[in-house]
Amino acid sequence: MVCLRMFELKNVTKRYDSLVAVDNVSFSVKTGECFALLGPNGAGKTTIVKMLLDFTRPTSGSLSLNGIPSILAECRQSIGYLAENHHIPSCLSGWQYLQRCAELLDISRSEAIDHCRHIVELIGMQGREDAKVGTYSKGMIQRFGLGAALMGDPKLLILDEPTSGLDPIGIREIRQLLESLKGQGMTIFLNSHLLSEVEKICDTAAIINRGKLLVKDAITAIVKDGETLEDVFVRLVRG
Amino acid sequence: METSKALLPIARITKYTLIDDVRQRSFVVMFVICAICVFLIRGCYQGNYIVNGQSLDARTVVGALSKVTFHIIGAGVMVIAALLSMRIFRRDRNEGMQSCILSKPIARWQYVMGKIIGLWVLSVTFMFILHGIVFLITSINLKVFMPEYIIASLLCSINLLFVIIATLLLSLTMPDIVAFLCVLGVGTVGFVADGIAAASQSQIALAIVQQSGGHPQSDVTWWKVVYFLWPKLLGVQQVASSLIGRESFRGFGHFYPLINVLLYCLILGAVLFKRFKNEDIV
Repeated sequence: MVCLRMFELKNVTKRYDSLVAVDNVSFSVKTGECFALLGPNGAGKTTIVKMLLDFTRPTSGSLSLNGIPSILAECRQSIGYLAENHHIPSCLSGWQYLQRCAELLDISRSEAIDHCRHIVELIGMQGREDAKVGTYSKGMIQRFGLGAALMGDPKLLILDEPTSGLDPIGIREIRQLLESLKGQGMTIFLNSHLLSEVEKICDTAAIINRGKLLVKDAITAIVKDGETLEDVFVRLVRG
Repeated sequence: METSKALLPIARITKYTLIDDVRQRSFVVMFVICAICVFLIRGCYQGNYIVNGQSLDARTVVGALSKVTFHIIGAGVMVIAALLSMRIFRRDRNEGMQSCILSKPIARWQYVMGKIIGLWVLSVTFMFILHGIVFLITSINLKVFMPEYIIASLLCSINLLFVIIATLLLSLTMPDIVAFLCVLGVGTVGFVADGIAAASQSQIALAIVQQSGGHPQSDVTWWKVVYFLWPKLLGVQQVASSLIGRESFRGFGHFYPLINVLLYCLILGAVLFKRFKNEDIV
């Protein structure tokens, strides 16, 4: 059965004691869509990502991935995830880290080697993959994190601030990579503050503030003539 | 098929836990120091021991010293197991491995199980090697062959399982070092209480009580209940060390410490799985 909705949130609320991090949010993203979740710091973006991955449970409401409730581990079979401030164990090399990720996804050893080689090329880290992670810059760790997220050709790619720590050339390369993945039909969920990049890559966007969903629509519908996504974002967030 | 599918991620997490811990410089240093210390005791076996003017034979000396070494290694590795366990979740969280593993189709119970087994295998191997050094010293240097020493070592691994589960559970609810100290406290109280209980049952203690006109207490008091229910870590070591001396079977009560510690492992393990299931992954 092909599910047209890659993921869906239904009346999701998350409270931390008296703080309401996510307040009755409902939306869904279709398969093959490139979606951006926007909002100021502390708006609840990362909490939504964590609930999708079952890193934290909602206080009320439900989330599903490909029609499977997010609390079941099997729903994460075809998800690639890059965390905000990504970390890699310092005792490993970038190559060993990618191998580990391949192993965790049940990819056979011979297949994993080819796959890792391809990913190292994709993220532009040829020649550095055998160095220990301790010698990498933040941007390089971010690239390997993105590489790990791409392991096993996921159907849904969840990226929390993927360009964090990257230089302008790196940002451009990641954007080009995401555009090519989007062209291949991959569903992309982007959490980013770089609104100009979002405007270039994404089809749809949602803006949340203080846990409440302000708007969720196609970017062409959100951004009116003569405006940029940044203008709309500032207008909506400032109320 | 389904079972092997569920076991595969556990085996992988176990492997990563082992590799990551063995790669730590502090672990290697700790292991080398312990191995050297155990190796140095070989001098104790070669001394001439005289009791009541009579020289002790080699077998008696080896038996007594091996038992002492057995208990010291058993207790020492429990401390090391607690040290290794207290930081395992925090390290995985800080190094991004926890979110990396749990963003894959791996359930939380599989992750926790992998961590427990990894730490257990590591600490059991650690203890087994140290006990193995003693076994080799007595077998090669002194020609006293004690295969039961190795079996006793494996029996002691139940204690390590208890320490690992307890430390992992407590490290979820309190700072790592406090979790370590709490488990150390539980172990110390158990050792001291068992020591006092053993001393109070000795011939000398009973004679003193009788001479002073008193009689041993037989009624149930709250501290007796607490003592009975307290984790019997020393008890397990004593059961294991009784194999070395080939002591006679002393009834079902002799095995109570094993049942006690195994029950603790089951209960604390269940609480650990439940607690980790509701934990927020950072």
